[in-house]
Amino acid sequence: MFEPPVQRLIDELARLPGIGQKSAQRLAFHILNVDEVDATRLADAIVEMRRDVRLCSRCFNVTADEECSICRDLRRDPAMICAVERAQDIPVLEKTHEFNGRYHVLGGAISPIAGIGPDQLRVAELVNRVEAESVEEVIVATNPTMEGDTTALYLARLLKPLGVTVTRLASGLPVGGDLDYADEITLGRALVGRQEL
Amino acid sequence: MELNWLELNGYRCYANLHFEPAPGVNVLVGNNGTGKTSVLEAIAYLGLLRSFRGIPDESIVSTEAESAVLRGEFSVPSGSVRVEVEIAQDGRRAILLNGKRPKRNRDVLAQVPVVVFHPDDLDVVKRGPSLRRGYLDDLAAQLRPQAAADQAEYDRALRQRNALLRQEGRSADRATLDAWDARVTEAGARVFVHRLRVLDVLDEHLGEAYRLVGASGRLAWEYISNWGAAAADDLAAAEAKLSRALAARRDRDLDQRTTTTGPHRDDPMLVVDGRPARTMASQGEQRTIAVSLRVGAYRVLAQERPTLPILLLDDVFSELDPRRARGVLDLFGGGQVFVTTARDDDVPVDGRRWVVEGGVVR
Ligand SMILES: [Zn+2]
Repeated sequence: MFEPPVQRLIDELARLPGIGQKSAQRLAFHILNVDEVDATRLADAIVEMRRDVRLCSRCFNVTADEECSICRDLRRDPAMICAVERAQDIPVLEKTHEFNGRYHVLGGAISPIAGIGPDQLRVAELVNRVEAESVEEVIVATNPTMEGDTTALYLARLLKPLGVTVTRLASGLPVGGDLDYADEITLGRALVGRQEL
Repeated sequence: MELNWLELNGYRCYANLHFEPAPGVNVLVGNNGTGKTSVLEAIAYLGLLRSFRGIPDESIVSTEAESAVLRGEFSVPSGSVRVEVEIAQDGRRAILLNGKRPKRNRDVLAQVPVVVFHPDDLDVVKRGPSLRRGYLDDLAAQLRPQAAADQAEYDRALRQRNALLRQEGRSADRATLDAWDARVTEAGARVFVHRLRVLDVLDEHLGEAYRLVGASGRLAWEYISNWGAAAADDLAAAEAKLSRALAARRDRDLDQRTTTTGPHRDDPMLVVDGRPARTMASQGEQRTIAVSLRVGAYRVLAQERPTLPILLLDDVFSELDPRRARGVLDLFGGGQVFVTTARDDDVPVDGRRWVVEGGVVR
């Protein structure tokens, strides 16, 4: 145990995902040793992010405004929606420069074991958008896991009767992985070679 | 295939063990509870990536250790294969094949063929269908690593479908259920077709093994399923049948809140001259059938692989008379064998003797 102010920071850091006690200690002592301005900037960044960031009212990406920068960008094709599990997947797909439509963050994948069904995801919102925004194609870019694949299948069956083309990223992505771990080239190829469901 | 050396750290009663067995027969002698079966379990783990005792991984970590490490080097025709497994107290594990992380864990399954033979094998013959399904599925996974992946996928799809049925019952969202039906169907048909392939290659070897152990009559499988599966089915036919059966039984599944049809409910029955072995055979016949199952598995692996499997016989000789016992080893090829016994006299075969005592093998 360290003195209370130090230990308090260590405890908070150790609650972060992927940070163990050892790393938390190292980070806490690093913060203790840097210039006070640097430490303050870090603390401000955390406070401001929590205060200013909210979800895009259209696609549920994270944004500081009513709508995210992608949804506000007039050069992007509103007839195409790429559905992803989490907001973190968007920058990964953006880096491939192969997609010029808009996104839709589902908030996860269907998994009865985890108590997640369509009602726990933003599926109804996606259906509304398909109808309201004259969408022509929905690319389902859920993770290549059993749950991600099943969500894709579910969405295909749900959306096709609305007259929209539903596609899935081409295989080549590591099975059971996260989009996070797919490199840009693989992901770019998966986007170009997507297949209709 | 031969095990050149085995190293165990923090594994059950072994704080540090380095064991260099002989190429042929190795007899591990020790009182009960001294850890001789644990040595066999460790060797088998490096081939099967799980305990043949059917217990969760974390319980093989010694209570004093942070993690258990199992390492072994095997010689194969093309050189050597090293398998290393580290299991943490919380059950998480890391696997290395020749010093590198394999792309998929199942790549390891194809490397080290082992056949385990223990007294509980009798249950495969005597008890309900799950152990017989397990026997076929395990052999399928050893022959084709893809089978292990398909089995895992079927398990997961089934658990998801059952979770939906259990939580929602009649009010389950039909579209979500449709999606899981599709997954269960795809994976289930593949699991079934893997079983068919095993039954096909096993058939001849099993019959021969049964004759060799001195039994008369014809030992065969009769595959019973409630979804109309048949030996002539290919993948497409199996998918179509399973899909129809799931649809036909949906009402019942919604009521019972579980999946009542599919390969997980099949009963691969063993029959001798048309009589079900489970109910109609004597204890002696059943024991002979259990031996035949292992001999059959050994011979299938020996035929399909460039190298003989490693044979692990856990305390099976105490149950056999000396004449039978001598005969059993002759049924297997001249590969490497590990035998455990409490009494040296029970094992009437030549081989390197090892005394197992207090976490030491010498
Ligand atoms: Zn947006």
